[in-house]
Amino acid sequence: MAAKRDIRLTVNGVAYEATVEPRMTLVDMLRGELGLTGTHVGCEHGVCGACTVLMDGRAVRSCIMLAVQADGADFMTIEGLASREGELHPIQQAFIEERGLQCGFCTPGFMMSILELLQETPDPTDDEIKDALGGAICRCTGYESILKSVRSAAKKLLAPAS
Amino acid sequence: MTFEFPKSLDDLPISSPKWVGKPVNRVEDPQLVTGKTEFIDNITLPGMVHCAILHSPHAHARIKSIDMSRAAALLGVVATLTGEDAERWSRPMYTTPQGWGGYVLATDKVRFVGEPVAAVAATSRYIAEDALELIDVEYEPIDPIVDAFSAAQPGSPKVFEEHDDNIMYQRVFTWGEVDESFQKADHVYKESFRWNRVGANPLETFGVISEWDLVDDTLTCRGAFQTASFMAMGRAATFRLPSNKVRFIAQPHGGSFGGKGGGRGTDITLMLSRKAAGRPVKWIEDRMEYLSSGGSQAWDRHYEASIAVNDDGTVTALRVKLLDDMGATAEGFGATGAVKPMASFTGCYAIPNAEYDLTLVATNKLPASPYRGMGPPPHNFVLEQMMDIAARDLGLDPAEMRRRNFIPADQFPYIIASGNEYDSGEYEAALDKVLEMAGYEQLRREQEEARAQGRHVGIGVVSTIEPGVFDWNAYTVIGTQGIGIPEGVTVAIDTMGKITARVGFALEGQGQYTVVTQLLAEYFGVELEDVRVVLADNLSAPPNFGPGGSRLGVAITGAVLGAAQRLTEKLTKVAAKLFEVQPEDVELLDGMLRVKSVPESQLSVANAAAIMLNRSDMLPPDVDPSPQATFAWTAPGRVEPDEQGRVKSYLTAANACHLVMVEVDPDTGQVEILKYYIADDCGTRLNPANVEGMVQGAVAQGVGATLLEEYVYDDDGQLLTASFMDYLLPTIHEVPFPEKAALVTPSPFTPLGAKGAGESAIHTTPAAIMCAINDALLPLGVRAKEVPASPNRLWKLIQGASG
Repeated sequence: MAAKRDIRLTVNGVAYEATVEPRMTLVDMLRGELGLTGTHVGCEHGVCGACTVLMDGRAVRSCIMLAVQADGADFMTIEGLASREGELHPIQQAFIEERGLQCGFCTPGFMMSILELLQETPDPTDDEIKDALGGAICRCTGYESILKSVRSAAKKLLAPAS
Repeated sequence: MTFEFPKSLDDLPISSPKWVGKPVNRVEDPQLVTGKTEFIDNITLPGMVHCAILHSPHAHARIKSIDMSRAAALLGVVATLTGEDAERWSRPMYTTPQGWGGYVLATDKVRFVGEPVAAVAATSRYIAEDALELIDVEYEPIDPIVDAFSAAQPGSPKVFEEHDDNIMYQRVFTWGEVDESFQKADHVYKESFRWNRVGANPLETFGVISEWDLVDDTLTCRGAFQTASFMAMGRAATFRLPSNKVRFIAQPHGGSFGGKGGGRGTDITLMLSRKAAGRPVKWIEDRMEYLSSGGSQAWDRHYEASIAVNDDGTVTALRVKLLDDMGATAEGFGATGAVKPMASFTGCYAIPNAEYDLTLVATNKLPASPYRGMGPPPHNFVLEQMMDIAARDLGLDPAEMRRRNFIPADQFPYIIASGNEYDSGEYEAALDKVLEMAGYEQLRREQEEARAQGRHVGIGVVSTIEPGVFDWNAYTVIGTQGIGIPEGVTVAIDTMGKITARVGFALEGQGQYTVVTQLLAEYFGVELEDVRVVLADNLSAPPNFGPGGSRLGVAITGAVLGAAQRLTEKLTKVAAKLFEVQPEDVELLDGMLRVKSVPESQLSVANAAAIMLNRSDMLPPDVDPSPQATFAWTAPGRVEPDEQGRVKSYLTAANACHLVMVEVDPDTGQVEILKYYIADDCGTRLNPANVEGMVQGAVAQGVGATLLEEYVYDDDGQLLTASFMDYLLPTIHEVPFPEKAALVTPSPFTPLGAKGAGESAIHTTPAAIMCAINDALLPLGVRAKEVPASPNRLWKLIQGASG
C-alpha cells in the first residue's frame, strides 16, 4: 500500500485537509472523509453521471477521479447549491415544480451538469440541454421532466430579480 | 365492521377537493433535491465494518477447496465467511418453485458466473476488496449449461444433481375449447419469438447494514428494501429465529422496479456480523455486481404462439408456448414473471379460448429477477405481433383489427379466459383518442409517401392492460402461499392538531408519501404542511408489504381512508358529547365536526383530538384518550385458483393505447422514433403528475428493452455485458417524449376509483415499437421477431432480405 498523502481542497466554499491513500477515489473522499453524502455513486465506472460534481467550475465524474487529483482544487457539490440558510437554488425549485425527479438518486449529478450548462449557456436550446445531459442516466423519469426543469431553471435564472 | 370506501372524490368529507386529484408538488422532493435523503450508503454506524463478496468466475464448477487464511490475516480484516458458515447457520434459500436453490454462499459447486463464494468484513471497503485477492479457491470446471433448449432436453447435464432434469416447472393451462377453436377457425397463424434478458437497473444498487446482536440473538438490518416486512419474515425463517427478533428498517432508495435484489447480500452481511461479534456490517453492491449477480436480469424467453382467427378478424383462440430460462436457481421470485401474464393473457381482447404451455428451465446463468411489469411485456409483444400478422393477412388495418376484438365497454366487469376479472375499461375510447391525436389517416398517408421515396417508415398501434393491485393468489400455481396482502397505516392526531401517518414502506420514487399526505389533508380539511408521513420498522408498523405489482397507490389509499374513517368515529363521539347530541347527528365536513341540524355547533378535528388527549373529564365513556387509528386494506373477493389456475387475482385493469411511428435505416439497422402518442387510462388519478411521470419513465424503460438493453452470455456462460459500457441504458437522446392524454374510467372496486398504475408504458412500448418496426420492414418481406431489435440484429435481418 502506497504511503498516504495530504491534500487540501475547497468544497462549497469550505476549506478542507485530508490524508488519503493515493488509490482513494474522489467520490469516496467526498462522501466518506468529508461526509458530503449528497453526491451519489451509481456505476463507479464513469458512465451514469450520478457522481458528477463541479471541479473549478467544470463538471467531472468523481468516481473515476482520484482524491489526490483534487489537491488544490475548488469543488461544488449538491450540498452547496441551496443557500446556507436553506433557500433552494432555482434549479432545485424547478426540479420540484416540473417533477424532474422520482427516486432522486441521480438528481444531484444532473443538477451539477445543469449548473455548468446554465453558467455557460444561460438560455440553452433543447438540443444544447440534451447534449449537456447526454452523459447522465436517469432510470425513473424518462428525461422529459428533466428537460422541462432545465428550461424552467433557465427562465428563473434569467428573470430579473424582483 | 364493514367499511364503505368513498367511491369518488365527491364522496370525501370536503366541499370541494383541494388536494386529491391535483398535481401537487411532492413532499419527498425538498430532501431529495438537496442531497439530504438518507440512502443506505449515507449511513455510518459506530464500529461498522465493510463487506466485500468474492464471486464465481465460472458458470459451472465444483468447489474443491476454499482457503481463507491469507485473507483473514490481512491487516484490517475482521471476519471471513464461506458456504460452510452458511450451511451451519442458515437454511437454503427460499425459492419459487420450491427446491431450486442452494445456500447464499456456494457450497458444493457454483452454478453461475457471479455466484457468491466467500465474503470478507474489514475496516474499509478498500481493505475488504484487497482481501478478496487473497482468497484461494480451487475450482473444477464442469461443462456449463447455457442454452435453454438443450437444458430442457432429457439427458441434459444438470444444474442440480438432486433433480431428475433441469425442468423447474412445466404445465399446460387450458382455458375453454382451444383445440376445437383452432380446428374451426378460418385462419390460423403461427410464429416464434425471442425476448432476450433485460432488467431493472435502478440507479442505486442494493445496499444493507446488518447487525447480529449475539447477546439476545436479535437481527437488525437497514437497507434498500423494497418489501422490508416480507424480507424480515424471510430472514427469521432462514436463520431459524423468532420473527419478533428480526428488525428491518427500510431506507429510502434510489429506485427498484422490482429488481433491487438483496436477499443474498442481507444474509451474508448478517452472518459476517455474527462472526464479527455483532459489529454492524455494511455491503454496498457495486454496479458490476448488480449486473452479474444482483437483481438485474429478467425475462429470458423463447416463445411459440398461434392464434385462430375468423374471416372478419375476430380472434377465437390464442395459444402461447413459453420456454423461460430462469438461470441457475428459482430464488428472488423471478418465476412469478412467467405466471403474471395469466392476469392479462388475452390483453384487451375478448378472446374466449386460450392455452398457456409454460416451461421454466434451469441453466448456468444469473437467476432471473422480477422487473417492472413482472412478465407481461414480452407476452404482450408476442400477442400484438400475432394480431398484426393476422391483420396483414386479412387486409385489415391494425387499428381496426384490434377494435374488432376489444372487450366492449358494456361488458365489464369481464372475466378473461385465463380467469382474472377486469374491473372496467373503455378500450375503444382510448384507441379513438390516440388515433385522433396522431391524425392517423394523415399519418398513414405520410407513411405511403415515405415508402414511395424508398424510406422504411412504419406505424404500430397497440393497446394493453396493466394488471393492478397484485395478490399472492396470482402465483399459487407456482407455489406461493396466502391470499391477500394487507397494507396498513396508523394515523394519529397530536395535541397540537398535527397529523402523522405511520407506514411500513420506504420512499422509492413513486411519490406515495405525497399521496398519503394529500389524502389526509383532504379528509381532515387541513394543509399539506399539517401532515407528516413517517416510516416505521417491521416491528412497529401496521401490517404492510410495500410497492409491488402496481398495488401500493390503491392499497395505501384504502388504508388511509379506512384509518381516517375509524379516527373520525372516535372524534365524532367526542363532539357528540360536547354538543349533547347522538354521534349519528354529527358529521365531518371541511375539517369540522358539525351537528347536522345546527351547523353553527361545530368543533374542529384538531380541537376534538386535543380534548381527547387533555380533557378526560370531557371524554365519552366508550372512547379511549387516543386520537389514533390503524387500518390495513387488502383487495376484497380474492379466492384460491381453480384447477386450471383461473382466479380473480389483480383487482384492477388499467388500459393504455400507444401509437408509434418509426423509421428503420436499412444501412445501419438503426431505429428512429419519429412520433409517439399515448392515451392512458388508470382510473382516478390521485396525483396526475405522479402518474404522468411514471408513464414517461416506463416509456424510457420500454425503449431500452426494445432497442438497446440486453444481457448477453457467451457459450461458456460468461456475461459479456457486466458494465454500462455494454449494457446500454437509454439516455436523453434515445427516449421519445410522447404526446399523452389521460382518460379516466374509475374502478368500481377500489377506494376513489383509482387503478394500479406506473407500469402501463412498459407493458405497451415494446409491443408498439416492434409492431412499428415490422410495419416499416413490410416492403422488405422480413419480420423482426427478436427483442431487442438492436441495430446489429436488424441490419442482419435486412441484409438477409436483400441478399
